[in-house]
Amino acid sequence: MRLGKRQVWLQLLSLGICPVLAMTACSRQQQAGIDPQEVSAGEYGYEVHCAECHERPHPDLLKQPPNLHGVFMRKTLPSGAPSTDEQVRKTIIEGRGTMPAFDKRLSNEELDELVQYLHTLK
Amino acid sequence: MKFGVSTVLTLTLLLASLACSHRKTYPLQGEVRGKDLTTNEVTVNHGDIPGFMPAMTMPYKVKNTAMLQELQPGDKIAAEVVVSKDGNDYWLEDVRITDESKRGKVKPTESHMLMPGERVPDVPLVNQDGQTIRLKDFAGKAVLVTFIYTRCPVPTFCPRLSSQFARIHNELKTTPDDYSKTQLLTISFDPKYDTPAVLRKYGLAYLEGDASGFSQWDFASTKEADMRRLAQAFGLSFQEQDNQISHTMNIALIAPDGTLVRSWFTEWTADELLKALRQAAHRSAKG
Repeated sequence: MRLGKRQVWLQLLSLGICPVLAMTACSRQQQAGIDPQEVSAGEYGYEVHCAECHERPHPDLLKQPPNLHGVFMRKTLPSGAPSTDEQVRKTIIEGRGTMPAFDKRLSNEELDELVQYLHTLK
Repeated sequence: MKFGVSTVLTLTLLLASLACSHRKTYPLQGEVRGKDLTTNEVTVNHGDIPGFMPAMTMPYKVKNTAMLQELQPGDKIAAEVVVSKDGNDYWLEDVRITDESKRGKVKPTESHMLMPGERVPDVPLVNQDGQTIRLKDFAGKAVLVTFIYTRCPVPTFCPRLSSQFARIHNELKTTPDDYSKTQLLTISFDPKYDTPAVLRKYGLAYLEGDASGFSQWDFASTKEADMRRLAQAFGLSFQEQDNQISHTMNIALIAPDGTLVRSWFTEWTADELLKALRQAAHRSAKG
């Protein structure tokens, strides 16, 4: 199932109309640890789905996505909601504010792996 | 369009390599469907370009302005698609007209990409409040239109479009005369997911919670057949695959009389859009 989603992402990149997407492919491949064979499924999911917004500044966006390092070390999420697995899963699935919903994009297993990885981000 | 895993991997590597290494060229064969001298772009209906693009109708810049002048809708052409070293830009070079027998015989139809001055199709849309709206409802206003889907995860695409439209909206609000004579319209090409309720939530995020802004900025979708009509008219390409949609970035300015002023594709800024929108609204005021 997870491999299937990876293929979907590759297809998105392949079918991307604008070469900017090719730039995305380039930068991600150049990042250490992006090889899906060498990192955990959670880290791979984070790099593919989250890092582009949460790790890099995007001055063109209305609001800067918060940095997620240490997100589970605080009592509340950047939104003010309690920092629980359930709340983080809800945010990923439904989106929040200008963050897009990842509804129907991630399997339960992928969500579990992603949340587990977020716990390790210091 | 079905892609095997190996094809996908090959294309991905090709795209990645073109971004990472050096300028690449790809042979193109197609038919001219329109051109815009204000942007030096020609819209081409082309076949598969292996390693670069599946078959589709989309705009390309032509840097040789003499050739751009010569090209006419209906012309069959062959050319090289050149992708810049950094992968951020692409254009046509070495354009040859291979068959001009259909020149002038291509009648403007609703299925072609609109040229400036042509009337935009008046399709019904359903907005964030569940109300049916039509482009003709905005007669007398200059309208800036763009296309998104709310689940787009690529920050340089839909989130950027909506963020920059929010900037434009906030600027317009500071000038009541401009605000009343202009309209922003964000159309989703994902009507199955982007219901009025989803669009309302999405719009409120970009209006920073102020629902009064919906009076000048609609978030709407339409049924599939009408969306295809709009896509053709505005040169939008989109394709869904397993809840991901690959798409072009398109912005269009519609004059108060319902005709296309111009379009933007890859290169634009909020300031440029705002200036053009204000100018179009002022032209209306002068009659």
